[in-house]
Amino acid sequence: MNNPLEIVILGGGTAGWMAAAGLASLTSPKFCRIRLIESDEIGTVGVGEATLPHLKNFNDTIGLDEAEMMRNTRATFKLGIQFVDWGFQGSRYIHPFGTYGRATSGSGFHQRWLRARAAGCDWDIGDFSYAIIAARRNRFDFPETAKPTISSTYSYAYHLDASIYARELRRLAEARGVNRTEGKVREVVQDSETGVIRALILESGEQVDGDFFIDCSGFRSLLLGSKLEVPWQDWSKWLPCDRAFAVPSESANEFTPYTRSTAVEAGWRWRIPLQTRTGNGYVFSTAFANEQQAADSLLKGLDTPALDEPRLLRFKAGRHVRNWEKNCIALGLASGFLEPLESTSIYLIQIAIMHLVPLLPLAGMHPRLADEFNRKINVEYDRIRDFLILHYHLTARDDSEIWRYCAHMDVPDSLKEKMELFGHSGQIEQYKDGLFTLPSWLAVYLGQGLIPTGYSPLADTGPPQRLLDDLKELRTEISDRVDEMPSHNRFVERYCQMLQPWKLEPAETQL
Amino acid sequence: MSQRVTNVVVVGRDAALWIAAAAIQRSLGRLGVTVRAVELPSLLQPLDVYSAMPAIQGLHKQIGLSEDLVVAAARAVPLVAQRYSNWAGAVPPWMVGYDDPPPPGSDVGFVHYWVRGHQEGLKPAFEDFSLAASAAKHARVPVYKEGTELSAAFGYNLSAGPYAQLLKANAKRLGVELEPATIGRIEIAGDRLAAITLSSGDRVEADLFIDASGVEGALIGRLPGSGSESWNEWLPCDRMVVASGAPINPPPVYSQISAFRAGWIGLYPLQDRTAVVAAYSSKHISEAEVIESLPLLARIPIGGEAIASTLRRGVRNRSWIGNCVAVGEAAIGLDPLESLGLYATHSCISHFMALFPVEADSFPEADRYNREIALVGQNLRDIQCAHYSLNRRFDEPFWDECRDRTPPESLERKLEIFALTGHVPLYDQEPFEEQQWAALLSAAGIFPKRYDPRIDMAPDDALIQKVQQRLRDIAVAVPNMPSAAEFMKQSREKMEMAR
Repeated sequence: MNNPLEIVILGGGTAGWMAAAGLASLTSPKFCRIRLIESDEIGTVGVGEATLPHLKNFNDTIGLDEAEMMRNTRATFKLGIQFVDWGFQGSRYIHPFGTYGRATSGSGFHQRWLRARAAGCDWDIGDFSYAIIAARRNRFDFPETAKPTISSTYSYAYHLDASIYARELRRLAEARGVNRTEGKVREVVQDSETGVIRALILESGEQVDGDFFIDCSGFRSLLLGSKLEVPWQDWSKWLPCDRAFAVPSESANEFTPYTRSTAVEAGWRWRIPLQTRTGNGYVFSTAFANEQQAADSLLKGLDTPALDEPRLLRFKAGRHVRNWEKNCIALGLASGFLEPLESTSIYLIQIAIMHLVPLLPLAGMHPRLADEFNRKINVEYDRIRDFLILHYHLTARDDSEIWRYCAHMDVPDSLKEKMELFGHSGQIEQYKDGLFTLPSWLAVYLGQGLIPTGYSPLADTGPPQRLLDDLKELRTEISDRVDEMPSHNRFVERYCQMLQPWKLEPAETQL
Repeated sequence: MSQRVTNVVVVGRDAALWIAAAAIQRSLGRLGVTVRAVELPSLLQPLDVYSAMPAIQGLHKQIGLSEDLVVAAARAVPLVAQRYSNWAGAVPPWMVGYDDPPPPGSDVGFVHYWVRGHQEGLKPAFEDFSLAASAAKHARVPVYKEGTELSAAFGYNLSAGPYAQLLKANAKRLGVELEPATIGRIEIAGDRLAAITLSSGDRVEADLFIDASGVEGALIGRLPGSGSESWNEWLPCDRMVVASGAPINPPPVYSQISAFRAGWIGLYPLQDRTAVVAAYSSKHISEAEVIESLPLLARIPIGGEAIASTLRRGVRNRSWIGNCVAVGEAAIGLDPLESLGLYATHSCISHFMALFPVEADSFPEADRYNREIALVGQNLRDIQCAHYSLNRRFDEPFWDECRDRTPPESLERKLEIFALTGHVPLYDQEPFEEQQWAALLSAAGIFPKRYDPRIDMAPDDALIQKVQQRLRDIAVAVPNMPSAAEFMKQSREKMEMAR
């Protein structure tokens, strides 16, 4: 390792500043010098207000204080996502950030639940998930981490203002030596033989040389997509939504510790509670609705008054075939797009950074580095894709065109096999790489009405009555324990309430 | 719902048969599944050895066998490491041990500290930072795990005949019905086995047949679509010779694996003898020559006769077809290198048990089993292939060919990424964790070009401290471990107490 790698990040939204803060925190200046180019004239999309539990890990790694971050980004806690009207109208279920059963139940809990069901019990499996019960009752507390108990069976994420989050990261990144340059790119200089990117020329005429470029330019994908012409893999036949309207509304009295996603006539609506407002949006497909209809539908469905006009976003589901090409990688929207149904956008940025750091070309460029990065990122994308498709496909809705289309569409073989095996015996595939694990798949399958016709014979141990008694006891234990938790509002108020000028007296320190 | 599976027939021989039958019986016997074992004539020779990595202890738990009993009955010697010599010209032998992986979510792998240290003049080899390798060198067994950040595991070298007998007795104890037989007629209906007729004249039907017959694939091989993917190209030894030598006293707790001009020879210490296995390429050396050279290569007196056999290396395209599930060598054929054979059997059975079918008349589980087994096989093959690919014996046709051959893509990726970054890409169904791969690859001569930049976020003296502390921890831990002789004595005493 000789000279430091000159890294140039193009674009300063969530992706750009996560990359800058991440790289500046994980590598020393002797390896990487980081420069970020952004223009205040270019707005960022910044709708990613709902996150996944992994973000806490990222923040801890880069040393971003949680309470302070939450205070500044007006954040609330998130224990999962509630899905309304997805499998059929009138249905609702929560996809929890936690497991089902006890801390010691392992991966077999749902098989035992299936056995109880076969014996005639109609208990909702949600009653056996601590995270779900806490979410339903608007409770929050930190999970137990020291020992395996019922209150260690979950993790949590945040609802936050992503543009303020990016600002926080910027502060941290700049303090760690990231050099920010204001400006727009006029020209990309490539090596005439190899096509490797040598420099970006800004409108000011300044030339920014670099060894390695990170394209965070959003949907335009200025470097990877436009300049290096990496092909795009289109997934819109499975994920037909191509537009979203986003609008903030006044904050509700009680903010739920979960995101809500409601399936509607031409797509779905999100509802994300922040401390100071509620984020709302309507993701829809222009094949099934026009923009005016969608905007009207969004406004009509708000539960608090709108604070602004709905803002339109255009997108297509898919990803670039390769996200590392020559000496350039793409992050965030420049890399690919999956609708925010499962809050995966920020996760995909984070995981790309964490895959990049071990593979950084610090000792010279090698095609295998790019190849390995692409393998890992593609696995992430493709497994999330299947999981999202499942939400659309597994539906009995027959009330509008989009749901009829999705229910009958031909899904990827990888998903077909998963659904078949789950429907047959409750089997859920477990894999090493990739985001969603057993409880996530389980929540969606069952929540959207795919009930296995059989269960694993291995669950047949012990007399049935003992199983029923045990489940009853577990349900009571969860319920009692959740009742001891503070309300989500109260917890936020004490832990991370946004500082307001009229409330500057010292905060209570005891939780 | 249709009929459940109530009737399983396991057809096979030796360890695979008894392990499969016992595992199914123990989990499902009391739930009304009957398990019948059809025992084909054994292929074991009196000299054979089963060499097993630490996962074997999990298998014993699964089938209800006590370790002490195994040690006593199978004349077992604990296996803490593999020692490789003559694989790289004049390079001294190296030891790759069974260290436990660091706890999940912990720091960047130790190999990165070692690479950085070396760039700054640190002398010790990577194996000096391995608790298991160090234990093996001092003939100690890492039995204690409490309160230490570093820990290691061990498997066994087992005398094959007595071990198979023990497994058989255990299966019987668990309630498996046994029937020694050979197979006569096999009736096939579509892609299912309708029935098999045994030499006794018995016509046997079953909801499920498990094929544990070894390489021959007595049942699976008769079904349509059971062809194999050959690995001959990557695992170049096509023959092996088994012999037996005098015991080494005290017995080493590692297997000694020495390369010679057309293959390698392994010494597997047992309590009462030393099993000797030589794997070789018949294109490069004759059987007679190998047998003649055994004493010279083994460097211990060889007694009795040596017996040669053929190695089938490859994986079935489908290991579960219709109502027939292949396990062990009937599914995955390997080289004896790295002691992976019993692990492959165990792994097949674990995957099968996790997918144990719900209904007797349709098995959608089969596709997933087949995919998982193909991956298990691929990963095991790659561990073995890495040794051949990375050899540094120059100007010997066999070894030159091994080096010149392009490794499988899955392995090539590991080799290159490790060389470039010190990290090892891992796939689903990996038997080895990253650090074990790092130990293997660095010992075999790959020195990463760089280390993970994250470790430099700590101050320099913290890095030095971490490296030195590890050497100190190992130096303190190893002398407190029992020696192999003490281990075996304690094991015997516990057995006697239990009686």
